[in-house]
Amino acid sequence: MIRERKVDNRHFIPCLVLSISMLAMGSQAAQAALLDGMMDTVEEALAESLAEKNERLTTGNFYTDSSPNAHGPIGMMGEHTHEAGEVMFSYRLMHMWMHGTRHGTTRITNDEALDLGPYGVVPESMRMMMHMAGFMYGWNDTVTLSVMVPYILKSMNHRNRRHTAKFTTRSEGVGDIQLGSLWRLWAVEAPSLGAHRFHLNLSISVPTGNIQPTDSTPLRPDGQRLPYPMHLGSGTFDFYPGITYGGEKGQVSWGFQAIGTLRAGKNANGFSKGDAYQINIHGAYAIVPHWLSGSVRLSWHDWKKYNGADPDINMRVVQTGVPARLGGQRLDVLGGINVLLPEIMGIENRLAVEGGVPVYQYLDGQLETDSVVTFGWQGLY
Amino acid sequence: MWRDTVATGWFAIVMLACTSTGSAYEVIEVRNGGTITGSVALTGTPPPPRQFTVRKGAEVCGTNRVLTKVEAHHGMVRGVIVAIEGVEQGKPFPTYQAKAKGPGHGEFHYTGGNTMNLGVHLKTCSFGPFTGVMMADDIIRFVNHDSIKHILHTYALQGRNTKMLKTVHTRSLGAESQTEKVFPAKRLRHAHAVALTCDRHDFMENWLYLAHNPYYAISDETGHFSIDRVPPGDYVIVAWHPVLGMQEQHVTIASHGRLAANFEFTK
Repeated sequence: MIRERKVDNRHFIPCLVLSISMLAMGSQAAQAALLDGMMDTVEEALAESLAEKNERLTTGNFYTDSSPNAHGPIGMMGEHTHEAGEVMFSYRLMHMWMHGTRHGTTRITNDEALDLGPYGVVPESMRMMMHMAGFMYGWNDTVTLSVMVPYILKSMNHRNRRHTAKFTTRSEGVGDIQLGSLWRLWAVEAPSLGAHRFHLNLSISVPTGNIQPTDSTPLRPDGQRLPYPMHLGSGTFDFYPGITYGGEKGQVSWGFQAIGTLRAGKNANGFSKGDAYQINIHGAYAIVPHWLSGSVRLSWHDWKKYNGADPDINMRVVQTGVPARLGGQRLDVLGGINVLLPEIMGIENRLAVEGGVPVYQYLDGQLETDSVVTFGWQGLY
Repeated sequence: MWRDTVATGWFAIVMLACTSTGSAYEVIEVRNGGTITGSVALTGTPPPPRQFTVRKGAEVCGTNRVLTKVEAHHGMVRGVIVAIEGVEQGKPFPTYQAKAKGPGHGEFHYTGGNTMNLGVHLKTCSFGPFTGVMMADDIIRFVNHDSIKHILHTYALQGRNTKMLKTVHTRSLGAESQTEKVFPAKRLRHAHAVALTCDRHDFMENWLYLAHNPYYAISDETGHFSIDRVPPGDYVIVAWHPVLGMQEQHVTIASHGRLAANFEFTK
């Protein structure tokens, strides 16, 4: 068998050039935000109308640490920026539980799932836990830099067609490390207008996660390469361009974020995960001002099927080993709580939790998601 | 031939661009300068001081703070900037310190000389007096003497009706740290003042008038001011306060002359 090792660079070069150019531009940023000076006409018109109410228009204020809901729900990333010189450390613990197979929008039995192939083994459930250490730094008035290092633990429970064997496979290790940058675009605020802030997201992930985890199975007690959902990374450099909007007025805040995932070519094992995008819409209310807020979020995920295949993963054994079946869509509804704690040693502390369930899923014979819960701490200095 | 002409022309344009640094103030000896004195009055009732509950760093700032934006005694206003516009040559910038009246103890240090050389010393959650002056293209040093973090946020006051505050710069100032910043004239070209605020403490609010020369004064507790060693000539004299607004007068200073210029704001 000849393994396909040809690398497809359709996204890699332009994305890398864009990233480097933007960072070079950011280091020389003379503006507080990228659109400074380009929105003068809009700002003047707003200021004129606000002047009739005896209000003053403020532009370029991205400060978001005064209330618990000034940060988005903890399940979101890159939804706020930092002032120049500010540093934030964070820790997130994410738990995802998947149980049962969905084909299209319909939940099917394990026996029906086995007949999709037909396959000899069916996954009954899967648990994914991720510890995520994060660091953000306000580089200058325009750019916030970030690093996120995930540590992932996955386990999948299976049974065979004849109900004669049940087994669990596990994978664990560091995932793909993400290096990010957030670019302040434009912000306006006034008492009657509220605050409206826009920024760009531009991140890249480094393929540090294992894409050939092994574990013992009844077929290969000495160790078998696990199928794609058990991988800890993509094996490719991935780019995450996006745009984020956040609004705030009184005790209410809201926001929108659209983030894409572009895979740069195929990895060393001859495949790439599909491109993807995610859209979040969220709202929050400060139940106890300056201390406690509650949030709701709608999160739409769309991910394409894999390109290529790992020749060491048998497509005939289990549905999770079929790359063409690994695309899907999902809409989650999530609720959360943010708590802004008093400062300790000059560090502002936030605790937050968010959990939710899918209300819509379209999968091609894969394990469906039942719940997602994220707990997190953020320490700002 | 045409290449030489284009190259020479391009070189000339580049040299011109490099040497055109704008109309910087030049210090010269003033032998026959005049003096402008005057007062600033207020008709009406000044807005009451604003009260704040301190939420961050109360151990340094105190649990409650007051911000008095208009300070008037017997109808005379303290803290109004009076500046003569359009003076391009004259006396050096003065050396002095201006301290906040309290409850914070911030200070503006003006080293003076050929430029203003402003140092903003944050103390007990205060930048300094409510009003002061600064210069564009001049290095400003911010020194945080407090044991807590402040987030410096500067806004340019601009717009046709001065109803717009445009962010110029933000900087996290860690406990007992300092930073330097030049506010480029290009960024402040539509502004006539800069607001100094702290994102973490909403009671920290100060205003710096953008002066272009050392011919300015700030009205004292009796509302009086004095500007000396003014080169003879015709000028516009401006009185500005962040709450009361701006007034202008056209004045003519004679050699060794003394001139009175009084301003009256209404609230």
